[in-house]
Amino acid sequence: MHATTLRSPQALAPVRRGFVRRNLPYFLIAPSVIMLLALIAYPLLFALKSSFYFWNLQVGPQPLAFVELDNYVQALNAFDFRAALTNTLILSILGTAIEFSLGLAIALVLLKALPGMNVVRALLILPTTIAPIVVGFLFRYLYDPGGGLVTWLLQSLWLPVPAEGILGSPATALAAILFVDIWQWTPFFAIVLYASLLSVPDEIIEAARLDRASAWTILTRIKLPLIRRTAIIIVMLRFMQIFNTFDTVLVLTRGGPGTSTRTLGYSLYEQGLVNFNVGLVSAQTWIAVLIVNIIVALYVFFAFRNEEW
Amino acid sequence: MTFDIGNMSRRNMLKSASVAALLASSAGSLVAPRRASAQDAKTVRVLSVEDPFFFSMKAMIPEFEKETGIKVELESLSYDALQTRLVSAFVAKTSDADVIAVDQMWLGQYLDNGWIISLNDYIAKDSDIDLADFIPEVLYSSNMWRGQIATLPVAAYAQGVMYRKDIFESFGIAAPPTKAAEDWTWTKYIETLKALEGKSFDGKPLFPTVICGSQPSPITHMFTQLSASHGASWFKSFPGAPWDFSPQLTGPAWAKSVDVYRQLYKLSPPEAINYVWFDAGTRFAKGDIGMFYWWTPYFYLVKNSGYMTGKKSDVINKYATAALPKAEGVSQTVSLGGWSLGVPSSSDRQDNGYAFIKWATSKATQKKMAEWPDLNFQFSDFARKSLYEDADVKKIYPYLDVQYDMMKQGNGKITRPPVPGYTAVESVLGLTLNQLLTGNEDPKTALERTNSLFESILKGNLMIPYQKESYADTLDGAKALIGKLGKA
Repeated sequence: MHATTLRSPQALAPVRRGFVRRNLPYFLIAPSVIMLLALIAYPLLFALKSSFYFWNLQVGPQPLAFVELDNYVQALNAFDFRAALTNTLILSILGTAIEFSLGLAIALVLLKALPGMNVVRALLILPTTIAPIVVGFLFRYLYDPGGGLVTWLLQSLWLPVPAEGILGSPATALAAILFVDIWQWTPFFAIVLYASLLSVPDEIIEAARLDRASAWTILTRIKLPLIRRTAIIIVMLRFMQIFNTFDTVLVLTRGGPGTSTRTLGYSLYEQGLVNFNVGLVSAQTWIAVLIVNIIVALYVFFAFRNEEW
Repeated sequence: MTFDIGNMSRRNMLKSASVAALLASSAGSLVAPRRASAQDAKTVRVLSVEDPFFFSMKAMIPEFEKETGIKVELESLSYDALQTRLVSAFVAKTSDADVIAVDQMWLGQYLDNGWIISLNDYIAKDSDIDLADFIPEVLYSSNMWRGQIATLPVAAYAQGVMYRKDIFESFGIAAPPTKAAEDWTWTKYIETLKALEGKSFDGKPLFPTVICGSQPSPITHMFTQLSASHGASWFKSFPGAPWDFSPQLTGPAWAKSVDVYRQLYKLSPPEAINYVWFDAGTRFAKGDIGMFYWWTPYFYLVKNSGYMTGKKSDVINKYATAALPKAEGVSQTVSLGGWSLGVPSSSDRQDNGYAFIKWATSKATQKKMAEWPDLNFQFSDFARKSLYEDADVKKIYPYLDVQYDMMKQGNGKITRPPVPGYTAVESVLGLTLNQLLTGNEDPKTALERTNSLFESILKGNLMIPYQKESYADTLDGAKALIGKLGKA
């Protein structure tokens, strides 16, 4: 005969408490993990699966055939997709570099106790708060060949403006879109870098000055190394953000003239929400995800290789 | 009211945040589209595009509510947003609306996928809809697919010419004809424009014309009027059966049309390369354009200083309308388009939906929309023959005879075939045309490349060889169906 020992509720309580306490970190992190899986992992896996099927909502509501890698081949062979990829890389790399440099310069000026800096700081944040689609409409008027402010300024400075307008010429349209991004997002760099620079201890700067270090040396040997981590992270964030540029392109040029301003974001919109080619747009999405992840992974590897975490 | 956050404990802060999140999500559910349900049987939810007809239709809605006791929930969206929202709702099988605005180009896709219902039975049982009053070319182009009338037209568009009377008189240029004529050709049209080249008027330099250059849809809409006039076909066999979607862009009519379109661009403001529909349409309202052709809503939209501004333009009493030119030796085909109303198959208030459609497309409502005075009278997109002969309406819109003539020469199934997969090939064509305007590429080479891309896309979309049943879609067949349903 087996004797069964029944635990009383009082006996169970410590066990349950112990289980909860032991696993508390997992319980706390579980909602985030579930959200992450639902909002990022599931859609990406769904897109991965869809990318191997012919599935165009204009032709039929369901996937019609398994097409292996055809969608990837079609995406990579499409000249407009290749142009979009090139334009996106130009925009992302140049945009991030210019915005960082200008943002750092502005942040250094903000550190100076000049009169009116409080107002400047307040105004600086404004462009970042405007929705990109609104910025697009704003610049559509500013670039207007018939009296837009930017056009007028360039003409006043005797700079050449194409007859078809800044947005109408393949030579200037991409630069015009880059300028919009720089106008809107440089303040973001300026504010974040300014905040980081404020955390640099004054004593170190004073000590360097006593040692007669130049302003350039203080910047490159003391300030920048001390704000390095913040700088690396915001550069990475902005790079990924510019990589998805879409709204301004839609409003300003719709990717034209020709393919001169087409971006990956615009291509994805066109294939997904205009042509409803779910299979093709899934393949394009995965190509974009892979490219951006490879670039970011390499960037993180080289940027943080000497860091301890 | 002030909040002392500094004295708030962490527990209270978390509680407040949770309540805020809950309230935010509740508010979200209040503003999210409501689903149709049997509980709201006396309601009809209408999802529309915000084209000009929307504003006058909206103004008439209290009358519909009074007449029928059905409450209307009307919502408007932009073109792209509407298509995205509708397709998402159809795929998810959610009942987002009871009446939807359907662009002519979406008809084949929506019906073949079973997303909207056929109105044949409703129309056949309805003795007072007066189907015979609709212009057959409009119903054929915009509302019929495989022998079904799936939608009814709320705003029908053709294309026509607008020109400045005062400028033509000032330079002694003969006015273009108001009726189709053998000698009113695209060659003559360009000659007329060239007579305005380099001229100034009222101290301002003139541009002879304006075109729409933005890709993909705007440029395709304007260009395909030219190509249809020149007898160009998109496909080997469509709409006649058996359907064969092998692309035909290498034919001489396409190359000739590109050549003419490039000439028109050279006579336009250079920035027109980026012009979307209303940029091109309302440029004429600024007063420095001699003559151009575009969708007929611009016959009235140019009365405003900008798109739907309500502020009178400089050209309001200085312009006239004319017939579209044709190509030598080719019968004219006018591009037809516009908006129609349909009932989604997911709606559980389809009777209410049909009642709204019948009301909105009726002669009485369309006349009231035309007589609505706001925005300088902004609706003359009639699909009903009787309204083109209505003296009250003609007094407000004196160009209706020209517009009606264009409608009767219309064929939307040839100019921009509304086949499933259309937007994918339109994207490629729009890009090519846009490139051809600014570049130096030989049109023949560009069109051959586009033809091959078309072929690849259509094969990829299982349209070549066509795997579904064909349908001999002719205007005569459409007229027979109108007669049959009208008498049933």
